[in-house]
Amino acid sequence: MRSVVLFGLVCAGIATAADTAEHFEKRVRPLFAAKCQQCHGAKMQMGGVNLATGAGVDGARVLEALQYGGKYKMPPAGKLEAGEISAVRAWVEGGASWPNVITKRESGITAADRNHWAFRPVTKPAVPEGASANPIDRFLAQRLQDKGLQPAPRAERLKLLRRATLDLTGLPPTVEEIRSFEADQSPTAFAKVVDRLLASPRYGERWGRHWLDVARLADSTGMDEDNLYPHAWRYRDYVIASFNNDVPYDRFIREQIAGDLLPAASKAERARNLTATGFLALGPRPLAQQDRLQAVYDIIDEQIDTTSKAFLGLTLSCARCHDHKFDPLLTADYYAMAGIFANTTQFRNHGRPGSIGFMYYAPVDEDARARYELHRNRMYAKMLEMEDAYAEDFGRDEAPYRSGLALTLESAWRNIHEGAGPPAGVDGKHLDHWVKFLRNADEKARAGYLKEWLNASPATIHAVAQAYQKRYEDEIKKWDQAMENWRRNMAREILQDRTLPVKPTPNKDESALLAAVRFNGGPMDIPESPRVTYLRQEYERLKETLPPEPELISAVAEGPAVEQRVFLRGQLGNPGPIVPRRFPLVLAGEEQKAITKGSGRLELAGWLASAENPLTARVMVNRIWQGHFGEGLVRTSHNWGRMGEKPTHPELLDFLASRFVEDGWSVKRLHRLILLSEAYQRSASASKELREADPENRLLSRYPRQRMSIEQLRDSLLASDGSLDETMGGTLLAETKGKRQKADPEEIRRRTVYLPVRRGSIPNLLGIFDFGDATTSSGGRSRTNVAPQALFLLNSQFVLDRAMGLARQVLKESTISDGQKVESLYLRVLTRRPAPSEIDEGLSYVQRLQTALGGEQAKEKAWQSLCHTLLAANEFLFVD
Amino acid sequence: MIVGKRERSRRAILRQSAAGFGLLGLQSLLAGAEGRAPHFAPKAKRIIFLFMHGGPSSIDTFDPKPRLVELHGKPVPFKRGLTFGEGAVRGLMKPLWEYKQHGQSGIPVSALFPHVAECVDDLCVLRSMVGDGVDHGAALLQLHTGVFQFKRPSMGSWILYGLGTENKNLPGFITIKPTLGHGGANNFAASFLPGEFQGTAIGNSGMKVEEIAKEPVPYLASKGLTAEHQRYELEMIQKMNRRHASSNDHDPELEARIGALELAFRMQVEAPEAFEVEKESDATKKLYGLDDETTRDFGWQCLLARRLSERGVRVVQASHSYKWDQHTELFKLHTKNAAEVDKPIAGLLKDLKARGLLKETLVIWGGEFGRTPWAQGADGRDHNPYGYTMWMAGAGVKPGFIYGSTDEFGYHAAENRMHIHDLHATLLRLMGIDHLRLTHRSAGRDFRLTDVAGTVHEGIFA
Repeated sequence: MRSVVLFGLVCAGIATAADTAEHFEKRVRPLFAAKCQQCHGAKMQMGGVNLATGAGVDGARVLEALQYGGKYKMPPAGKLEAGEISAVRAWVEGGASWPNVITKRESGITAADRNHWAFRPVTKPAVPEGASANPIDRFLAQRLQDKGLQPAPRAERLKLLRRATLDLTGLPPTVEEIRSFEADQSPTAFAKVVDRLLASPRYGERWGRHWLDVARLADSTGMDEDNLYPHAWRYRDYVIASFNNDVPYDRFIREQIAGDLLPAASKAERARNLTATGFLALGPRPLAQQDRLQAVYDIIDEQIDTTSKAFLGLTLSCARCHDHKFDPLLTADYYAMAGIFANTTQFRNHGRPGSIGFMYYAPVDEDARARYELHRNRMYAKMLEMEDAYAEDFGRDEAPYRSGLALTLESAWRNIHEGAGPPAGVDGKHLDHWVKFLRNADEKARAGYLKEWLNASPATIHAVAQAYQKRYEDEIKKWDQAMENWRRNMAREILQDRTLPVKPTPNKDESALLAAVRFNGGPMDIPESPRVTYLRQEYERLKETLPPEPELISAVAEGPAVEQRVFLRGQLGNPGPIVPRRFPLVLAGEEQKAITKGSGRLELAGWLASAENPLTARVMVNRIWQGHFGEGLVRTSHNWGRMGEKPTHPELLDFLASRFVEDGWSVKRLHRLILLSEAYQRSASASKELREADPENRLLSRYPRQRMSIEQLRDSLLASDGSLDETMGGTLLAETKGKRQKADPEEIRRRTVYLPVRRGSIPNLLGIFDFGDATTSSGGRSRTNVAPQALFLLNSQFVLDRAMGLARQVLKESTISDGQKVESLYLRVLTRRPAPSEIDEGLSYVQRLQTALGGEQAKEKAWQSLCHTLLAANEFLFVD
Repeated sequence: MIVGKRERSRRAILRQSAAGFGLLGLQSLLAGAEGRAPHFAPKAKRIIFLFMHGGPSSIDTFDPKPRLVELHGKPVPFKRGLTFGEGAVRGLMKPLWEYKQHGQSGIPVSALFPHVAECVDDLCVLRSMVGDGVDHGAALLQLHTGVFQFKRPSMGSWILYGLGTENKNLPGFITIKPTLGHGGANNFAASFLPGEFQGTAIGNSGMKVEEIAKEPVPYLASKGLTAEHQRYELEMIQKMNRRHASSNDHDPELEARIGALELAFRMQVEAPEAFEVEKESDATKKLYGLDDETTRDFGWQCLLARRLSERGVRVVQASHSYKWDQHTELFKLHTKNAAEVDKPIAGLLKDLKARGLLKETLVIWGGEFGRTPWAQGADGRDHNPYGYTMWMAGAGVKPGFIYGSTDEFGYHAAENRMHIHDLHATLLRLMGIDHLRLTHRSAGRDFRLTDVAGTVHEGIFA
């Protein structure tokens, strides 16, 4: 019942011009089907008109024919009802659009489908003739010339330095870097800067972050429970290192999809490969979903969604319930891929939804893990042996006390109240123990479980004591059962490496008597035998020598063999035919060999990471382009299907894609090619005329001014006063206090990429600056300019502290004049020298404020204020 | 001299300096957020949603079930749906509180809500709510965003996106003390809608109201700078910004940000006043129960909700966070929970009515689901999304009215089944929006709050 509702919703939400489409589906399409398609349908298309597909349909002419108003009078058998005609009229007046909301692609995959521009093989277009040295500029020149546009001139040198440094490393240039660039007037000066920046470890921290957006990485499961992923940071560090080491992109793909299946020359390489599969393992997961199978297929769906978007720029997960409504992606394609992930271990098969024990982890060091588990299991085995031995001893030694409890309690009463000695059959020492225990009982015990005993009279004590024995026997029977269950469960859970059951503790409310007398040296407690003591010592020795738990990785592994069926309409309870594991037909062809061994991830990785795949290289070079220019050559970087945009420069896109492959899938070489183009080095100051002629900069007539990302902003602020901690890698999760707390981005001094990200509580500061949700693969962030961002810059202690730090630094430079101090500030914050008027302005600002504030700290505060104005200024916030 | 005259109020400065800044940018910034025309004449201008996180039991509050009294303790005689806790299912359990009919309308309310019962003639009780989420996370996300499989814009964001804001100096969608769990910020996120439509959180469920009152909106308060000092700084910043913009041919993005700074400064001046709950009269504070430790927290939330709402905040949510989830100890804890919210809710309804605001404000009460007719453990109830009660009051809905019903056990909705999609469609309609036409294109397709479902229940319209 639930899944019906649930899956009805998944992808069907096409409300494109909702009322028109709905009107068409409800009133018009059925009419055409009933009255027109005999002659204008699949079998016959008279006059070239097909009212089943919309081919050759001109709304006005259809209406004219229906109204019997022109040459054709349709249907020939008789005019339609007035209501029917007005329904068609409403559709025509609404634009007569033919909604492509078919749920089943009748025709399968057609030649036209395969001929979609993005599905055609990548070509290598010849570089057009032209004056520019860089091929990129020659490809761009044509369209600019066609429009008669003169692109913006080359940017000023320091602006270019600031742009490239923030772009490649996410940080502004230091004063030393500025000076050395100014000193180098050789023609290769900028190329040298680019090489220096690409070699900097800061580069991976900036560009790895772009990929982390695509990989929707976070440190928690999100969705309902938002449990922590304690090892997610390893995947982040892997991505950063991969970018820094310029790992070829095809290898980067293979590692993320099938790292666990790749050969490894060393333990370190093995760990690295496993870590890469965090791409699949660290998505949002519905841990509280009580329908286990539903949870599994929702996770698989998420993996299909992220994988198809990230590497192919396609929305394959839309085909879960029906064939894709816009693209030639079939439900069978979806389940053919689902089969690959269904044959992958996503979670510990003995885990239970609702707990983080659901997650599958691989060891960083498999041998160390095996040694650890062996030791741990021995330790537990010893513990169980000890528990069994104790239970045996107890059963034997306590039995006489238990059967004689009524007599003992009665004797104790009579001893205390009447001074009577022990009767026959009662052990004197045991009775003494009881008497002492009863005499010393505290108020709570007296008011509680001892009340009846205390209130007994010589006449009633016998019956009361009997009742106590009965009570004790009931309670201890329950207890023995609970302990036995626990020992049995422990044995089972240890073997299966599950979360261990908690050892029972006596319930002081429900079993007050038992809790008081049976444990901790109470009168019914049995001292440990030498045998148990020996076992305990053995257990404790093993416990003390247990090594720390070896570290783990969020990863995937091969799973049990599953034959995947199509789930009709996406409903798990509605299985259809079995589909062999394979790749989407439109891309990989009809003649694929079905995958029969293993999950198929290795094959998937190979197919994705192939130069023959028409999308992989194109999608990645487009991402890199987008990283530099704010927009890709294809502006819908996550949708290369029919609803996506076409490339602004298709030949350039293909040139870059083929060049990328030729260059060994090297991302750094691609950066270098782009940064050394004229297009990249253009000024961002576009004339109004240029802006109007090329409003969205689709011709790349200028460099697009971009508001800093939160990472660039926060890191640049930290760098401004030298408080940035450049430590790389590791996790800051330990610094998050408590389950729901988050590491405070205003306290921590590390780069923003290292801040833990909890899907359920993205830090406010990150949210304000469009960080996104880390929940679905992101094809690019929005760049809003809203008031809360301004409030942060105006009012946060974090920014004020940076301003003070900066002020103190320039004030420390005692050998320079105040004017030079202003100059130093401009250089540090804005990467430029101020105009003389700006120096005067700054000085007078400080002087007036200092005078007005008065007092000891006036000078420092006035300079802090000037620093604050620079840090809050647009010129700082935007990358030109 | 500019600096140091502390006696000048921030408002005065605002008035004086308003003309001095780049208003051009302000206009373009706000163009997107105000003055959108609704599809229909709106019946309600604003919404206040009182969210009872955890799932209050309908059977014990607004939906009496005599049959359960009859069959108390008997085995469950019907098939049970997917349930959260399968263990510990016991027999049927009767309502644990007495019901009485109240007001002219005679709507029955249990002894849990004596104050709300006084307002019963203003309530439109929806007894046939249905959702799909059996666990809290799914149910919260569906209630707030329509779906739980994906991150989607929240109801408040959609409304703001559709209607824009009434007060340029305050956020248009505010959620007071939202929970950080069960979907957390996703429950008030803008998702793929522009960021300006995101809900602004005032504190969170883990914070005390005194703590929240100090800085209700992040970074709203300046740290230690006088208003004059701030204005001096701001003028310098804007001078630099205007120079920067003019040397860049007035790039609209730069102008927009000049406007954002301006708006930020105005918010900083205007918004704190909206949060000054303490300024209310003693009588009003008492009405909301601010004088009593038990009711103070939620009373503060309700009173703040009224202050924000009357200043034009389109959607305000107050949350009684994760209190109502009584799998055990239903009697003890539902009693406690109701005591914390009953008086504040009634106070809000009475206050809105007295001020004439109830005519244009729609108040909604409810949890993410109800609770089962059978007992869980000794005295608990499990989650029940298949048939439960919410209520509305005020603008556009029939007062003193019961809509829909559940079956004789209070398990499944029977008449006039109102799915959460229907609730959303109906709410949007009350605000003047056609849920089919409120769409936003993302990743190549149009989305709406009601996804592909939703029926407007006109039967509740006044």
